[in-house]
Amino acid sequence: MSVARKHEGLGFLRFIMVLASISPLFVLWAIRGTCQLPGAPCQLSNVPSQVPKETCLLPNNYFLIGCVIFIVVPNLLLLWRLRTAKQHSDTREIKVGRAEDHRDHLLVYLFAMLLPFYASNLTSWREFSATLLAVCFIVFLFWNCNLHYMNVLFAFFGYRIFTICPPDDGNPLSGRESIVLITRRATIFPGERILPYRLSNSVYWEVD
Amino acid sequence: MPLDFSFDAIQHTEFGVGREIDGEEDFSLLPVDAAVQTALQEMARSTWNTICGFEGEGRMYEPSEKYAPQEYVFLRIDSTLAENLRQLHLANNMELDAGALNPTSAIYCYFARFTDRNGRRLTAVRRATQFKGIVKSRLIQFMTDALKIVTDTTFRLDHDFDLLIDSNLIHILHPAGFEAIGKLQEAVCGAVPENIEVISAQMEFVDFTRIQEYAESHPRAARYLASIRSLGETENISQPLLISVCATHGIGIEQVNGRISILAGNEMDFLNVLDRRMYRLELVEGTPERYKAGSRQKL
Repeated sequence: MSVARKHEGLGFLRFIMVLASISPLFVLWAIRGTCQLPGAPCQLSNVPSQVPKETCLLPNNYFLIGCVIFIVVPNLLLLWRLRTAKQHSDTREIKVGRAEDHRDHLLVYLFAMLLPFYASNLTSWREFSATLLAVCFIVFLFWNCNLHYMNVLFAFFGYRIFTICPPDDGNPLSGRESIVLITRRATIFPGERILPYRLSNSVYWEVD
Repeated sequence: MPLDFSFDAIQHTEFGVGREIDGEEDFSLLPVDAAVQTALQEMARSTWNTICGFEGEGRMYEPSEKYAPQEYVFLRIDSTLAENLRQLHLANNMELDAGALNPTSAIYCYFARFTDRNGRRLTAVRRATQFKGIVKSRLIQFMTDALKIVTDTTFRLDHDFDLLIDSNLIHILHPAGFEAIGKLQEAVCGAVPENIEVISAQMEFVDFTRIQEYAESHPRAARYLASIRSLGETENISQPLLISVCATHGIGIEQVNGRISILAGNEMDFLNVLDRRMYRLELVEGTPERYKAGSRQKL
């Protein structure tokens, strides 16, 4: 068998899916905004007290629109991909060797993505730039490591994430790579054959 | 022979290509849309309809036989001659490779795998000669009202497949295609020592050393050996009768320590005898005629 590098394909779509997976972060940022709350006025000063003003790094409306775009567009494209896969019967037959429930990956997602960035300060250009750069790094890592299946929306709709390992059948033409299956099943048994829709070459979605 | 598959209940269709890169075979799946899936299903159905159009139930494939360009022969899927096709048919979770069409010159076959609602699989394979030809030639198509050259790489599907594989048999419509896809030449040449070992065990009174040396450098002889072994033609052969037939056809042999040794230059004739290709007729009294059959069929 050749050891030639396989072309992963659907690079842009995987990038969009990573963006869709971080959309809850944009929800939180949209709520928080980039404005700094005013400090308490100094009572000891002889200067007559003035009404404190909120200082914003970006106009709230613009920031809100940006966040909404990052929330809506990637998820719409994800829905479009699901629809296209169904329309084109873009399925793949998967034989299960071993299946592992990976709901715990959502915890990794929570700690790697939501908590650190939610806590970050967006009120100065320096902080804002550093946070954006960090998000870019994380997006690249999620994209490169094929972690684009980690989407809280799937969990909201009752889907589970399984890693399916192929059976060891001794056939040199059989696939050796594990795939990720998004399904509503509670258990998957070894030897089962599944016909899920292809979201990317490593992530598949089973319709009920 | 019946097909262990239902075309009316196809549930899933896969498409892929076979490539040869640096002398190594590689099979990969490619994503295809619903229209291509339908076209592939029609191709497979057309192949089976053509097979059904032949009279009789077909006959077992023999590597030593010469076949017409389009003829129905079959082979058991567990045959040693079909090792790589069996692996292709039975492979699970074959990998998708979006870049498998490059380089196009490395593609030597394309295939489709179908699964019906009963979980039965059908694999259909075709040589990619058309594909290479299309890539090298210049195509035209009607765009607006003027003819224009198509510059993109184009993949053209054929009308039918060379062969279909179900759970039991390989149904072959184009024997030459089967031999090219199955790398039969390499397979039979590589199997010479193993075939000699099996045949020798059944005919201990023959020294096959010279035959083995000859077959290792002559693919035609290697094909005969594969055919003789696969049909079990050497079981219960009588030593005196074999000596008698060799004498009839003027095949040079000698007996050393009770074993028959084939003289140099007589190897192919001896294999022809074992493969039942030498025969003698006497239709004119006192004028026996000897013939060698390029193709024969057991009655």
